Amino acid sequence: MSELVRLTDVTKVYQEGITGALNDVSVTVEEGEFTAIMGPSGSGKSTMLNLIAGLDRPTSGTIAVGGTDLGKLSESGLARFRRDRIGFVFQFFYLLPNLTAVENVLIPAQLKGNAVPGRALELLDQLGIKDVADRYPARLSGGQQQRVAIARALINNPTLLLADEPTGALDTTSGEQMMDLLVQLHRDGRTILLVTHDAKLATRYATRVLSLMDGRIVDDARLESPERAPSEVIRVRSEEASQ
Amino acid sequence: MDKTDSGVGPCDLDIRIAPIHTLNTYGVWLVERLSLKYGVLGLLKEEPLHGYEVKNRFEAMLGGTWEVNIGQIYTTLQRLERDGLVRPVGSRGDRGKLQYELSPEGKKALNEWLSQPDSGPQQLHEEIYVKLLLATRIANGDLQPMLARQKRAYLQRLRDLNRLEDRARRDGRIDLARLVRGALLHTEADLKWMDELSSERFGAEARRTE
Repeated sequence: MSELVRLTDVTKVYQEGITGALNDVSVTVEEGEFTAIMGPSGSGKSTMLNLIAGLDRPTSGTIAVGGTDLGKLSESGLARFRRDRIGFVFQFFYLLPNLTAVENVLIPAQLKGNAVPGRALELLDQLGIKDVADRYPARLSGGQQQRVAIARALINNPTLLLADEPTGALDTTSGEQMMDLLVQLHRDGRTILLVTHDAKLATRYATRVLSLMDGRIVDDARLESPERAPSEVIRVRSEEASQ
Repeated sequence: MDKTDSGVGPCDLDIRIAPIHTLNTYGVWLVERLSLKYGVLGLLKEEPLHGYEVKNRFEAMLGGTWEVNIGQIYTTLQRLERDGLVRPVGSRGDRGKLQYELSPEGKKALNEWLSQPDSGPQQLHEEIYVKLLLATRIANGDLQPMLARQKRAYLQRLRDLNRLEDRARRDGRIDLARLVRGALLHTEADLKWMDELSSERFGAEARRTE
């Protein structure tokens, strides 16, 4: 595995009253990792994701993705970087209401000058929503809208998939399907950074959990997945009781 | 449920540590005996069983989260028989093969137990609670290293529980998946507790009370 993301001494200062600042964060993410970023609201986790995505620039420090120093890119260079390298899934889908599902998926490809409707339909098919390709977002369920957003994030075959509370606006079932999709994408070799406040979700899918608190990484845990006997995980009877 | 009166009261920390532990040991022991007793009654309600069948079914029901030795089962059956809640089926020959069935009193006792909510003190029998109290005194209030280590252990436990829940669902054991889900949510709460203790707000509170 090689290094895909490197943050070096990254600080992001906001004007007073806006939370989510980052304070001297340094971390690397390897290619193929599924990493969860956890922390309470205002801890800086979404800020971190936005900076890695090139949606925002740090106050100081450097961010490199796939060897590209984002700080050295012009605004248009940064836009190209986002378009070609990053897939971003948000909590609130952000689909354009006056475009159909398949047209929404094609936006990043059009920006790249490479809009092939067949590819968009193929993605919608893989995500199990090909039959609603011509519907407008208002006529899609939350789960369907999030799938459209994922297809849009994948259309340019990005190196890095960033997901900010992707299940936050979904019911339990749609949320689980959504996460199963991320797992599938991870198995296909994609690197995934998932922002969530839900520890159950994070530990279920990610093998690495970064904990943020007040703009700092306070823990970087790598989780193991050994086969354990049930009694090694839960004991309904306590140790003391056996005495 | 008959709980011990441990004498835990609003006294200072030195005196509290010991009684809390005593309460745990005794309370948990009591709960275990009660759960096993009614577990046995519940299984016998389905059909008459002999000792080894009770042991096997009980362990299967708990999905490997509670291993019970055959001696405990026999002791429990003997006590239940003495109290008139179960009775032997057929003749008393080879004790190992003797089957038991539920008596009408046993059915009544089981139904009453099932209809009562769990009440009494919250069971906190993990060592972290006592560790935390001692560390507060010994480490001059700097709990961060302990909290960080504990948090990591909880994260790993959450992962293990997630996998156990998945396995239970795959095996069609919805009842067991529910039990694991309960453990998952408890561990999530433990994790939140660690975060709360680590946060600035609680740090500041701790300094004020010094």
